[in-house]
Amino acid sequence: MDETIKDAIKAIVGRENFTDSLIDRIAFAKDASEFKHQPDAAVWPLTKEHVAAILRLANGTGFPVIARGAGTSLAGLAVPERGGLVMDMGRMNKILEINIEDRLAVVQPGVVYADLDRKLSPQGFFFPPDPASGNVCTLGGNVATNAGGIKGAKYGTTKDYVLALEVVLADGGVLRTGSRCMKTSSGYDMTKLFVGSEGTLGVITEITLKINPKPPLLSTAMAMFDDLEDAGRAISQIMHSGILPCALEIVDQQTLKAINQNTSLNLPEVEAILVAETDGYTREETEYQIDKVVAIFQRNRASMVRRADNRQEAEALWTARKTAYGVMARINNNLFVEDLAVPMSKVPEMLRAISDLAKKYDLIIPTVGHAGDGNLHPVISFDGTQTDQVHRVGEASAELFEKVIQLGGTLTGEHGIGLAKARFMGMEHDPKSMEYMRGIKRLFDPNNILNPGKMALEAA
Amino acid sequence: METKYQFAEKFRDQVLRCSSCGFCRAVCPVFGITKRPAFNARGKMLVLKEVMEGTVPLNDELIETLFQCTTCGACAKNCPSGVNVPEIIKSVRTDMVRVGSCHPAFVGMNKVLQTSPNIYGEEEPPDFERERNRKALYVFFVGCVGSYREEEATQETLALLDRLQVDYTLIDEACCSGILEDLGYAIQKNHVQTNLERIVATGCKNVITGCPYCFRTFNEKPEYAGLKEKGIDVVHISQFLTGFDFGVKTDKKVTYHDPCDLGRHAGIYEEPRKTIQKIAPNFAELPNNRANALCCGAGGGVRGGYPANSIAMARRRLEEVEAVGAEVLLTECNSCVHNLSNATLRAQKFKVYTTTQFLNRLLKEG
Repeated sequence: MDETIKDAIKAIVGRENFTDSLIDRIAFAKDASEFKHQPDAAVWPLTKEHVAAILRLANGTGFPVIARGAGTSLAGLAVPERGGLVMDMGRMNKILEINIEDRLAVVQPGVVYADLDRKLSPQGFFFPPDPASGNVCTLGGNVATNAGGIKGAKYGTTKDYVLALEVVLADGGVLRTGSRCMKTSSGYDMTKLFVGSEGTLGVITEITLKINPKPPLLSTAMAMFDDLEDAGRAISQIMHSGILPCALEIVDQQTLKAINQNTSLNLPEVEAILVAETDGYTREETEYQIDKVVAIFQRNRASMVRRADNRQEAEALWTARKTAYGVMARINNNLFVEDLAVPMSKVPEMLRAISDLAKKYDLIIPTVGHAGDGNLHPVISFDGTQTDQVHRVGEASAELFEKVIQLGGTLTGEHGIGLAKARFMGMEHDPKSMEYMRGIKRLFDPNNILNPGKMALEAA
Repeated sequence: METKYQFAEKFRDQVLRCSSCGFCRAVCPVFGITKRPAFNARGKMLVLKEVMEGTVPLNDELIETLFQCTTCGACAKNCPSGVNVPEIIKSVRTDMVRVGSCHPAFVGMNKVLQTSPNIYGEEEPPDFERERNRKALYVFFVGCVGSYREEEATQETLALLDRLQVDYTLIDEACCSGILEDLGYAIQKNHVQTNLERIVATGCKNVITGCPYCFRTFNEKPEYAGLKEKGIDVVHISQFLTGFDFGVKTDKKVTYHDPCDLGRHAGIYEEPRKTIQKIAPNFAELPNNRANALCCGAGGGVRGGYPANSIAMARRRLEEVEAVGAEVLLTECNSCVHNLSNATLRAQKFKVYTTTQFLNRLLKEG
């Protein structure tokens, strides 16, 4: 990027909102995935006018623009693979409106998930899709990724809550999608087109979100299964029982072994642990639901079932699930937090396949996941300085996703495609589908300046 | 592989272990006010990974991030991978000093401590109108900030010790000089020697420090092992006061700021609260308290090196004081008092005191 372009960007946003310092280029080279490439510069726009002026400049001169939230992507969505300009939306972080009467919130893209939650909570409301990175991730990033969370089975993911968007397009034009209404069937759903588009179609500058009343009470139960198939059957039966737990999480045997090897928790190394939580407005309501869940656990030969009588006991039941990431993050230098989803009934088969892959490629792959919606996170822990290991991880990943597709699953439940899974896109989407996706990309971004290299949108 | 740097030899595994999850964004005070990812722990670890790989040398270009860390330790407390960032930062600063890339303010502070016994290069030590270096059961060690910047708070603390009839003496102090290791330099052996000799000469059983940082230096730095060997325990004033009853109370709404050095670094959370709750029934916790406390912005040399950001961090903490509607903000560190007072806006009506200062004022009134 030459100096005249840099000067032009500085003239748009001000010197204090532009950088090409080495330290910033290094910091913006990575997200939470294993990919890395430095941008030429970075910018912090403060208004949609800033965003528009920069995109006009980029479109005219042909440098890539990579919109970025908190950089917590686990699939390389925020990595500037071709250099160019990182557009850090973190300083556009105002909550513009919370409207309880219309049940919506209007926010700028840099608002942190937890900051919105802190504002909604006192009013008895919440924005349900809660990623594990909720304390840091931004809502713009959540929309661009179509992020999920542990409440997905009952409350859905980000796409189910985005009512309207303001998007700056590649040519600097501003597009408004959707409406402030709870429903609309007016024209093509342009809003959902941008949800999960990973910054490849435009830069989101304002988001209107549907918000939900938050049931204040929870009941929690945990069950251990000596046999994975029993756990799998229990999951399916719960999810068609008429009860919708607000969380139904699974922890596999590899995870329990890893936790035990690295902590003094001494958890039973059963084939699977399930943790379920039900929510509601009265104790009777949450207990009625959890009773049903517990009965299903027992009917499916759970070797142990525990219920929490209070929040402290509930926390104890969550120990295995909540300890998993910290343990995995400490046992080796690198980790891929993988993400896939399969039809619910296929969860046990998928877990078996993951365990077989770990053996075949001599890797440690513990898996946790949101069993209630078939969304699993195998965590591949490895030493990135050992080329042999890196190679085996690559091969195991490829085989993993072949199996996912074979079972009728999808490459990603909530992390997106980015760089990590671009090479697998053709496995899930047929050539016609890829052709239309690429067509949409060309329509919105003919010069391919917006987050180029992601989602396999270029390959013929 | 590049391993010529000391930080890489000591902390290579930990730097590599940073998985770039970015969770430190939620708690890093420097990131909180700048929103600049190069400044949070992930940004710093990414820079150090490049240095270890040999793609980037340690040089002046890195000063702005490596020296802009208050070493508050909030990132380390919240790191899923258990990376001890403050220790890594201190270590890499020694490498930076060695290659001649150091923040000018830090160079200055080291220079001052080569000749002066205090970090400000002040020539006239305050005597607080008390006899010094006498035989006593306790030594009260004031510290530089309490001696030269927050004299009033120290006067009141000493008056409190008098009221409680504590048999203590002051000594002709030298700076504990622990701060030098945070800045990338070596602890000043002659200052250590001065302090050791003068403390031992009083025949005391305990040293009571007014400053959490001096408390840590005396207890943690091997150079001060001589104190333990002589059977002299070092306690912070907040620990010392837990055994007393004061017989006074305030109606005012009081809140408490956990200093990073006392809280996150030394694990002393409850002792100050015990004392405060005796005297202030109308006590409210700040939203971020104990291990989650926000840094006042003064630590790690940041007040000297990046004063505007240091004050901005203090303002962020004070917004929490306003949010709970407190009339009095207490803390246990003169440095925190100094920064938080300096950052207080005219519209903010609450007062900032050390707990001991506030206690003495209550006793005076009562």
